[in-house]
Amino acid sequence: MSTTFDYDFDAMLQTIKDKQWSLADIDWDAPGAETMTDELRAKMQPFMADLVWIEHVGARGFASLAKKAPTPTIKRIYEYFHAEEQKHANAELALMKRWGMLGEDGKAPEPNINVKLAIKVLDDYGDTLPLTGLATLIPLLECALDGALVKFLLDEVSDPVCHEVFRHINSDEARHITVDFKVLELIGAGPLHKLLIESIALLQPQVVLGLIVVFTPLINKMRDNIVAMGLPEQKLYNAVKRFTTIGSRGDYTSRIPAYHVLRAQAAMVIDRTSPYHRLLADPMVRLTSFIPAKVLGKPQAWVEELTHEPIAS
Amino acid sequence: MTGTEEYAGLLLRADEWRGRAFTGMSVAVLAPGREAAVIVPEVARTAREVKVFQEEPDWLVPWPVPLPGPLRRPAARLHLRLAVKDPWIRRRLTPDGRFNTRRPRVDGRYYAALQQDGCTLISWPIYAFVPEGVRSAEGIEHHVDCVILGAASVHAAPSIPAQREESCA
Ligand SMILES: [Fe+2]
Ligand SMILES: [Fe+2]
Repeated sequence: MSTTFDYDFDAMLQTIKDKQWSLADIDWDAPGAETMTDELRAKMQPFMADLVWIEHVGARGFASLAKKAPTPTIKRIYEYFHAEEQKHANAELALMKRWGMLGEDGKAPEPNINVKLAIKVLDDYGDTLPLTGLATLIPLLECALDGALVKFLLDEVSDPVCHEVFRHINSDEARHITVDFKVLELIGAGPLHKLLIESIALLQPQVVLGLIVVFTPLINKMRDNIVAMGLPEQKLYNAVKRFTTIGSRGDYTSRIPAYHVLRAQAAMVIDRTSPYHRLLADPMVRLTSFIPAKVLGKPQAWVEELTHEPIAS
Repeated sequence: MTGTEEYAGLLLRADEWRGRAFTGMSVAVLAPGREAAVIVPEVARTAREVKVFQEEPDWLVPWPVPLPGPLRRPAARLHLRLAVKDPWIRRRLTPDGRFNTRRPRVDGRYYAALQQDGCTLISWPIYAFVPEGVRSAEGIEHHVDCVILGAASVHAAPSIPAQREESCA
């Protein structure tokens, strides 16, 4: 590959291996669960359910990225990230269990229709999407997750076990975001004709339609839910600003057309007065709410892999 | 990474699993696809439970039919397609053609064994051994009575160099 971009992905892979943690490291019965009052529980339950599913869908996104990774080392890193996002979902499910937010069966909460649509698209198209598309979308979602959702949760909940869990999760996420952007640099430093070919592939009708029908309402619904819960919009703004700031720090990321498109979309998402909401996102949320889950068919088996049990025997 | 010496149960290396009965036992098999294909069908005959921690997948063809080079991969793909209905299992059994250029090996039993009751395909990376079993990167500790470590497994290498200094995040 002709590139002047240099980053030691092997060293990063070693760090990732060294920093692994397990649900079994956490004392899930430690005191502090009582800080979850009935009022807080009612408020946080839907938020936690969404969070678990975002991590789980993110995990599936990394599985697709692994199939596209430009080198074997980056592929291995993505395989670890796939597992780590699943670990985050598992740990958050264990927190839900600790707080009495799960039913008798301890099963993961049912995903909402917009999450189900995202699952469907990932099952059908995830592995065929061009690398630049997913590789740009994922850091944007990670910045939002890290910068807004998780900070909100930690402001609301004082349970020390929750804070312990998120120290692990945040340390993982810092590495995810580092790698996400280093890979964007690597892609951006590649030959221009390849970038153009991939960008044109992203303009295929089913990809554009997928993004509009699936991710627009998914993100908008989350956005409105959490703002309604009391998340200051400033936090969302900061999260997206971080995406722009880190992206512009690199020398080559700005050569990727998908980066500019997503950055522009993100700016519209956080600005509630933008016509984007009135003309596109809000109607999409309403439209998709009429889709019966049945027409989506059975999702692939990965959606059943979540567990809150630290030990499997 | 804690090494295999941490594990307190029965650890079988390379070919030590041959000719044994695993009646009533839960067994973890750690090996790449080409080797798991040899171990798993045998072990699954007697074990109560087999967790297959498959590392890199490999192409398999069911019979030793001499095929010209360009037809081997499609034949292996067809075999996988016909033998495994579940798309998520199939996905995890599909090699990455860009980095895995090995020829398909002959094996007609692995896919069937994987789908039998008590057998589970797990593709999460294992990062540590603990007295009761292994820890994998999805955050779960898997407890087993026996660990079979294939000779080609990434964990079979003599010993991993001393842990690095904790680097600042
Ligand atoms: Fe995560
Ligand atoms: Fe992440």
